[in-house]
Amino acid sequence: MEKLYVNEIRPDGAVSTIGLFYSRAEAEKIVAMLSDIPEQAACRYEIVQAVRHVLAERGAQRAQTAPEE
Amino acid sequence: MRGITPRREQGMADPVLAEMVHATGATESRHFAALKPVIQAYRASWVKLAPYRDGPVNSQRVTVDDPAPMTAQIKQKAKELGADMVGVCRLQPHMIDLGSEVVHEFVIACCVAEDYEKVTEGADAVEEEAMRTYAQCTEIATALAAYIRQMGYPAIAHHNGASEVQAIPIFYQVGFGELGRHGSLINEEFGASFRPGFVTTDLPLVEDQPREFGVQDFCMHCNVCQRNCPGDAIPQDHVMTHGIKRWLIDLEKCYPYSRLRDEYCHLCVDVCPYIVKSHPETYKAFMKERKQVGYKTPKTY
Repeated sequence: MEKLYVNEIRPDGAVSTIGLFYSRAEAEKIVAMLSDIPEQAACRYEIVQAVRHVLAERGAQRAQTAPEE
Repeated sequence: MRGITPRREQGMADPVLAEMVHATGATESRHFAALKPVIQAYRASWVKLAPYRDGPVNSQRVTVDDPAPMTAQIKQKAKELGADMVGVCRLQPHMIDLGSEVVHEFVIACCVAEDYEKVTEGADAVEEEAMRTYAQCTEIATALAAYIRQMGYPAIAHHNGASEVQAIPIFYQVGFGELGRHGSLINEEFGASFRPGFVTTDLPLVEDQPREFGVQDFCMHCNVCQRNCPGDAIPQDHVMTHGIKRWLIDLEKCYPYSRLRDEYCHLCVDVCPYIVKSHPETYKAFMKERKQVGYKTPKTY
């Protein structure tokens, strides 16, 4: 599945991640709903690939082979 | 007030779960299809109470000259009803579901702690305990909302049966604790082993304040939940939301263990070391079992 973050960018440039979504349609629906809220009018939204999330995956080096501590 | 925080749908209404279930050729999540009668009864109990989350408000309003004693009275009532923790904060848009509107000024958070000793009895016992506490929270929130309406103030219960509010931001704001790597809020006494119920209301109350005691910094290097997750669903990296670190769980990896098999999965919470203070012997015994099957355990307790 595709993994996408929706980020909120505030007028001062601060970025806040809304969430992780699993299709562009799902992410675009969230952005449309947020954009429709008058109180959020000053914010911009971006949909970005959750690249760091993918990089963080440890794949085969996962828990069951973790060194004892 | 309009909400701005997306809520992920539950069950087959969640498009991620639906796609994964359909890919197996099934029409229902294996876990939900295999629920035992006792679990089904708990789930039915909160559905049954949903119609009673709101109701008529007494036209004879109690005067509140000072919100402090009223807040103490409400907290006392919630504890009499069975809550282990009670907190109050002013509602903010990020505490409300995107697409929902809540007109009330305050939210009261109630928590019931799970019996951590159930981890020694296996996944079925842990699931039954979780559902028991959810059902109890539903009863508490429903009764507390009715109690407030009887005093002449509007009040609506929010629980597993029906809700428009978000647990984590409310828990943080009322001072129950901090968000942990596993995605649940961590309290210094109950760890992450507790369940919520809420009441929104216009009854004048005094707000509690957030409390930070190092959880987010601790989670940066602990990684015990991450390394005990059978699906490898808990990420190394975090994002920031409203200034709070969030580790967003990868549902595509979580669901094969938590939704697509019969057995309940609650391991990320069960292995969280913040439970060790209140249940030292049980936690150590549980982690010893985990270590024996190859999972990481904390360096120290």
